[in-house]
Amino acid sequence: MTINMQKDGTTLTIALDGRLDTSTAPQLETALKENLAGVDALVLDMKGLDYLSSAGLRVILGAQKQMGRLGGLVIRNVNKLIMEVFEITGFSDILTIEQE
Amino acid sequence: MRTHSFKTKILRAFVVFSALLIATICLTVGLYYRHQDLERYGDLAYSYAETAAAYIDGDKVSGYVASLQKDEYYEQVMDFLNSTLTHTDILYYYVFVPYEDDLVYVWDADEAEGACPLGYREDYMEGGKEASVNAMAGLTAGEFHVTHDPTYGYIGSAYYPIRNAAGEAVALVGVDLSMPDINSGLAYFVAVIVVCVVAAVVIFISILYSIFRQSLIVPINRLNAAAKKMVGNLENEDDMDIEIHTRDEIEELAKAFRQMYGEVKAYIHRLTHITAEKERIEAELDVAKHIQAAMLPCIFPAFPERSEFDIYATMTPAKEVGGDFYDFFLVDDNRLAVVMADVSGKGVPAALFMMISQTLIKSAAQTGLSPKAVLEKVNNQLCVNNEAEMFVTVWLGILEISTGKMACANAGHEYPAVKRRDSGFELFKDKHGFVLAGMRGSRYKEYELQLARGEAIFVYTDGVTEATNAHEELYGTKRALAALNKREKVSCEELLQSVHGDVNQFVGEAPQFDDITMLCLEYRGCGREEP
Repeated sequence: MTINMQKDGTTLTIALDGRLDTSTAPQLETALKENLAGVDALVLDMKGLDYLSSAGLRVILGAQKQMGRLGGLVIRNVNKLIMEVFEITGFSDILTIEQE
Repeated sequence: MRTHSFKTKILRAFVVFSALLIATICLTVGLYYRHQDLERYGDLAYSYAETAAAYIDGDKVSGYVASLQKDEYYEQVMDFLNSTLTHTDILYYYVFVPYEDDLVYVWDADEAEGACPLGYREDYMEGGKEASVNAMAGLTAGEFHVTHDPTYGYIGSAYYPIRNAAGEAVALVGVDLSMPDINSGLAYFVAVIVVCVVAAVVIFISILYSIFRQSLIVPINRLNAAAKKMVGNLENEDDMDIEIHTRDEIEELAKAFRQMYGEVKAYIHRLTHITAEKERIEAELDVAKHIQAAMLPCIFPAFPERSEFDIYATMTPAKEVGGDFYDFFLVDDNRLAVVMADVSGKGVPAALFMMISQTLIKSAAQTGLSPKAVLEKVNNQLCVNNEAEMFVTVWLGILEISTGKMACANAGHEYPAVKRRDSGFELFKDKHGFVLAGMRGSRYKEYELQLARGEAIFVYTDGVTEATNAHEELYGTKRALAALNKREKVSCEELLQSVHGDVNQFVGEAPQFDDITMLCLEYRGCGREEP
């Protein structure tokens, strides 16, 4: 998995590419831990993401908690398969998911 | 491969070098000295010849040759020659007239052994004729002719012309010197030189070698010995002592070596420790895996005395301990609780979280709560101190055995597959709540399934639907449903084995990433079989 980060003022956009699973989730966790200071809007762009496992969901849940519930975390460009995962796990109810 | 010690190599090089040095010095000096010697003796002989030529009256020479009569002057000259001969190293001192084919003696200092009388004719020595012709013509100055003559032996000769009043050369004065005498002087000199050079070179090389030995051979041998000792000694506790104080690169090398030895030993020590620790952890993990597996009901048939339902479940863990679990138990005589759950992540944290979740769900369900209430209660319990932000997806169903009514609630888990009498297994898109331990105060929806005799429910974890083959394709719910519907009228156990076989066939050689967990419950109803 590759992680591309782009910071624009207090908005941090992270584009994910590949598979977010047990072996790659710690990468995203570390990246978030190191870069969330001073950020009030976090965007996770999942355009290039093929697979999302429960370990990945855990990191997303952590980010959601840290960013608060005021729309601090936005998920973008979710493909069908990952949307299904969000729906099954009920994450779609708590996440702000924007589709283009 | 045969090895030579550093010391042998250096010694050998020194010996060869010394021999070459000695040979070169002696040869050069000897050759130079011989050249100088011959020149010196040549000059000497030439000057004797010149002296005699100056002494002798050239006009009288032809008279003696013609008459062969000696007179007072002749004797006077002879005395002069004899006197010179006895006081010098001259071997032969003579005057002769050179002719075309031979020569005629006029004087020959008769103090010398085998001196030739006046008028004695003799053939030229080898090269003697050319030398005589040149000397008569006055072309030579100090030439020294060295000859091995059968009569006179190994000699060196110089000639000087005697001139008459008209300035014409009429005879030659010859001076012969003994070459063996000259050479013995040379040999003596060369012997002295050789002795001196050998002594000097041996002393010089010995000093050089001892310096080499002290500063190179000894420290390197010690370093070598230390290295050999180190290879066989790594497990040993002994410290390595390599004390080398040469104040140069070798001392630095020894220092670096000492440091390296220490580090290697420390590393090995650490590695041994870590390996032991790792083995211990692996052994413990193995035990943990067994304990975890033992938490799941695994004796089948699970309820041999209950004919109203058939239940079977399997879990095939991936390499690591995982977080999947299933559970089923009787809440009371009429109610059977069924749980299928998947903890986020893998490994020990997931396994621990799984155990807590399983225990909490079971104890909550056994108090008689509805599925919705169980999930809400357990969610709040799990949210307390959930520092690791783990979560678990749970499908919970409680079957009323007498009626076939099943109350269910889903906390973020996969959709169950429900088998209806007329249509086979189909995915049941139930109402979903959020995962357990995700958010405090989450609400869950409850729904009811009515199972008729012969109808069944199949629940599973994403290890089934996300089993991946070598082409990165997912197994998916479509293939799972097809496998479920492939065989009819089989027991739950056979059905799960069949599905598992299908998953394995799909995955092929690709590694198993996730636990594969499945549970099937078939309702058989109460009382009489319907026709």
